[in-house]
Order: sequence, then structure tokens, then C-alpha cells
Amino acid sequence: MASRRRMLLKVIILGDSGVGKTSLMNQYVNRKFSNQYKATIGADFLTKEVQFEDRLFTMQIWDTAGQERFQSLGVAFYRGADCCVLVYDVNVTKSFENLNNWREEFLIQASPSDPENFPFVVLGNKIDIDGGNSRVVSEKKARAWCASKGDIPYFETSAKEGFNVEVAFQCIAKNALKNEPEEELYLPDTIDVTGGGQQQRSTGCEC
Amino acid sequence: MVKKRVPDWLNSSLWSPPPPPPQDPVSRYDSKSATAAAASTTSSTAAAAKDVVVLDPPIPVPPPSLIRPEPPKAELRDPLSSSDENNNGSSAAASNSSSAEDMSRRAQLSQELSKKVLNMSELRRLASQGIPDGAGIRSTVWKLLLGYLPSDRGLWSSELSKKRFQYKHFKGELLMNPSEITRKLESSTSLGNDESKSESKGLLSRSEITHGEHPLSLGKTSVWNQFFQDTEIIEQIDRDVKRTHPDMHFFSGDSLFAKSNQDALRNILIVFAKLNPGIRYVQGMNEILAPLFYVFRTDPNEENVAYAEADTFFCFVELLSGFRDHFCQQLDNSVVGIRSTITKLSQLLKEHDEELWRHLEVTTKVNPQFYAFRWITLLLTQEFNFADSLHIWDTLLSDPEGPQETLLRVCCAMLVLVRRRLLAGDFTSNLKLLQNYPPTNISHLLYVANKLRAHSAG
Repeated sequence: MASRRRMLLKVIILGDSGVGKTSLMNQYVNRKFSNQYKATIGADFLTKEVQFEDRLFTMQIWDTAGQERFQSLGVAFYRGADCCVLVYDVNVTKSFENLNNWREEFLIQASPSDPENFPFVVLGNKIDIDGGNSRVVSEKKARAWCASKGDIPYFETSAKEGFNVEVAFQCIAKNALKNEPEEELYLPDTIDVTGGGQQQRSTGCEC
Repeated sequence: MVKKRVPDWLNSSLWSPPPPPPQDPVSRYDSKSATAAAASTTSSTAAAAKDVVVLDPPIPVPPPSLIRPEPPKAELRDPLSSSDENNNGSSAAASNSSSAEDMSRRAQLSQELSKKVLNMSELRRLASQGIPDGAGIRSTVWKLLLGYLPSDRGLWSSELSKKRFQYKHFKGELLMNPSEITRKLESSTSLGNDESKSESKGLLSRSEITHGEHPLSLGKTSVWNQFFQDTEIIEQIDRDVKRTHPDMHFFSGDSLFAKSNQDALRNILIVFAKLNPGIRYVQGMNEILAPLFYVFRTDPNEENVAYAEADTFFCFVELLSGFRDHFCQQLDNSVVGIRSTITKLSQLLKEHDEELWRHLEVTTKVNPQFYAFRWITLLLTQEFNFADSLHIWDTLLSDPEGPQETLLRVCCAMLVLVRRRLLAGDFTSNLKLLQNYPPTNISHLLYVANKLRAHSAG
């Protein structure tokens, strides 16, 4: 039978307080937006079944607290992550500037085996606000930063309007999947699931 | 002098259970302004009523259960009626519950509260079973349990006016923006301009600035330097205050009533953050503050309502004194930090239900930090509806040893109560269950928690 390890994709969402991490997760998983979310304390957890290239996976999404104080508690949440989503608010410069801290902190705490190639995805959220007029971080600037960090995929999203959220998470799933094979080496007998295992491995090398 | 406004003693002695020595703490706090302040104690205390909480004609406060949009939990319980009414069913035997008994507890509490010198252990015993809503009993009892009111009723009035004045003073000093501070320095200050201070709290206004105290001054002593450091934390407080109980009209929405309540939460958190530079503001403090302020602000006594913000501040400080280490990042890995407390919960579970402990932590690998971090740091305010949280707090605050041991027993009881579902569950279903704890008969939960105490002792 399929091993559970293989079928599970663990995704962590990081970013400053108030950038919309909880909203993005709920928009993706439940297709709902609410402006009544409370501040996340510790970490919240949702799952979603995703299909990718004819295979079903469970995506386990961890929505974390944004305040710096909680970073040192992250290790329990970060460990074993297959992809890390970094979120900032395009209307708040500081939240963009802090992406670097979040990325570095994640790499320190999660200590992935190949930090150079660990998959990140960056989301610039809240592009709907004020019709884009209050925006302070340009797409160009954000893309430049992503490029400088090893071509991190970048999406501009609106959790409120559901804009680009699905597409972004499909990319997140794909990248999380690329990260999987390495850990799968310990479970060679899982290849018979759907016959897609080898194929996955080859896409994994494209990055 | 202006920079070093907060002496160290404020960060220690005042916050620990024995209240500060009775000699006027204000004069130790700031000799210059306090002398002037002390002179006008009575008049400015009266004036404080006006600027602490903006009070329009009292607005009737709907019970939380009536305004919560989620019916399943909320309909079960009307916080202003007897709290155990719905307590029928399987656990009725366990939790000694009936309206009659509730009435008699109310009568007993009222009687206890009318004594000249209160018997605190009797009060704790009664309160631990749940304080009936209404009539302001909970408001008074919580203040007693938190040591804000002394057990001698004769001292209440002087103690309250002292504390309320002290808070007004904190606000005057700490909520001023730099323009106001420099203006105050210039006009070498009398207390006469109190009104202007409180009116424009936090907002930069244009004014003449001299003495090198201008926004571009990089001097370490510049009040502006401090101001910019504070701005970030105040923005965080603002964000979270707006997100406090977004489902309750008391805290949320566009009404003047909700706005004034949000202002009060904001003021308290800012004053606390400035007086406690080692902790400042940590997300979640707003959630611990909210029940206190709600209870004090809905007291039928008008004077208590007028000073709800000040009373809440001191009770918040007192409550947090037992838990502040959980909010301190530097202590995360120490024996007093949050990790250590979560480990205690794990040990407690292992002691009482090893099978469940093993299934959770070994078999399904649910790290207790994944669910218990929020349970413990927020004192269970997010896991149940608001009225139920108040009931749980009655019990937490009644423990003479402080709330933590009781809190851990309640958390452990929460696990034990859903053990069958947990034992049948895997990682995902168990974590979802514990992060979204199902509506529960609170009296029964507290009964089970109390049984754990007996079990440990015996």
C-alpha cells in the first residue's frame, strides 16, 4: 500500500502579522473570505486533498503566528516541511523587507537537508486594497528579490477576492512535491502507488 | 529625565501578589509631577471618570450568546441566566447543577460579599463552582480573587481611588506623544492641561518644538527616538485590538460603544507595554484582557463602569504576573517558560491516562505544542464560547495557588473527555479535533478537572 509519508505534503506559511496568512489558507482550502479572523496564536492547521498529475495528495498547511516573539517556537512546526510560503502585504514595506528574515529563520530552524534548493514560494497579498493605489512594493522589486534568492516563484494575490490563490497553491503543491523524493529514498517500495513515482522524480530535477 | 520615566521597581514589586507598600507609590514614581499630582488627588480622580471611559448614557449590553453568529454553541447558554441550566444529560450527576443550586450560590456569594471582612477561602470555594451571571457579582469577586480589592471592605474605597488615580497618572505620562511631552516640558507643566493630553493620545499634532526635541534628532535621549520604537508595537496592538472577538458587538463593529471599548483595551495594552519593556506587547494579551474588561465594564454599578479601564489594567497585571513568563521569548526554554509548562501538561496526562498519552504523543505524534500552546497562553479563551470561558475563569481565578495548576488540570480533562475519539484518530483528525475543541458541558469539564486533583493528591 501507499505509505502515508509519500502522500503527505507539509506546507508552512510564514510572514509578518496581518499580511493575510490565515485568509490565504482559508481562501484556498474553504474558498471563503472573512474579515473576522483573530490573530493566530501558535499555529493553525488545515488539510486539503490535491490532485497532481493523476495522483492524490494530502496537503497539510500550517498557518503560523506573525509576531516575531513566536519565531523561536517555530521549530516544532517547521520541521519536515516540504515547502515554505513567504507572504507579505504589497501595501506594507516592512512586511516585504522582513521576507529575508523569515526565510533565514526558517532555514535555521527547519534545517532542511539541502537548504540551497529548498522550495519557497513568495506571495504578495492584498493587491485589491484601494484598487492598488496604496501599494508601496512594486512587482518588479519583489520579483528581483525572488530572483536573487534562487528564482523563487512569485505570485500576486488577493485572499479577499480569491485572485491567484488557487494558481499559487498549485505551484506550492508542485514545489512541495519536488522536495519529496529525497525523503522517499528510505521507502523504495512505495513506487507502485500509481506508477507516477519515477516521473515525479524527473520533474524534481528541473528546479 | 523624561526618557527614563519608568523606574525599575514598577517592573517587579507592583506586579507581584503582595501589593506595593502603602506609602504613596506615585511620589516614588516621579517626584516632580507627583507632588503636584498628589495635591489635587481628589479633584482629578473625579475628573478621571470622564476621560478614562467615554460614557454616553449606558448602553444595554446584550449577552454574548445573543450576538454570536454561531448558533450551535451559543444557544446552549445564556450567560446572564444561571450558568448551569442546560446541564442536563449524562453529566448531570457529576456536576451538581440546578437553577436552585445556582440561586443558592448567588445568595451565598451575596451574603459573603456583604460581610465587613470577607472570608477569602469561603469565597474561593463558592466562586470555584462558577459565579452566577448578573448583579455584578462576578465583577466584584474577580477583583477580590485577583487581590485588587482587599478582603476588608472598609479599605475598598480608599484602595480603589488610589489605584484609579495611579492609572490616570500612568496614562497621562505614557500615552502622550512626543509633541505633547516637549510642549509639556516647555510650559513647565501644571496639571491644568490634562484634557488636551488625553484628547489627542497617540496622534501627532503640529506644535512648536524646541530644546533639540525634534523628530530628526537622533540623540538616544530624544523622546522621538523612543516614540518611533513604540510605533511598531502600537501598530501591532491596534491590529489585534480590532481583531478581538470580532463576533461580539461589545468589542467589534462601528458603534461608539464598541469603539470606546476598543480604545480602553488599546490604552491598557500600551500602558502595560511601556511599563514592562522586557515583555512589551505579545500577541494574545488582548484575548486575556478581553474577559476582564467585559466583566468590569458590564458591572451594574456606574462608578465601576466609569473606572472599568483602570480596574482592568491592575487586574490584568495581576493575572499576568503568574503567566508573564509564557510571553517572554528569552524564557521559552527555561523551567518557567511556555515549553516547560506544556511539558507539565504532557506529564499530567501521562500520569492520569497513559494509554491516551502514548497514543497521542508516540503513536500519532501529536506534539502537545501544536494545540496546547494556545490553550495555555490564552487561558482557554479561544477554545469555548465567551460565556463558557468566563465560567472556566471563575474556577481558574479561585485557586489560592494561582491559576496555573488548575489550568493544566482543565487542559488535561479536555483531553480525557475526548479520549475515545482521540484513541480512534490519526495525526490529522486528532490535531483538528484539539485545535477546534467541540462544545462541551463546562461544569462537567471542571468536575473532571477537579477529580484529577483529588487523584493526584491521593
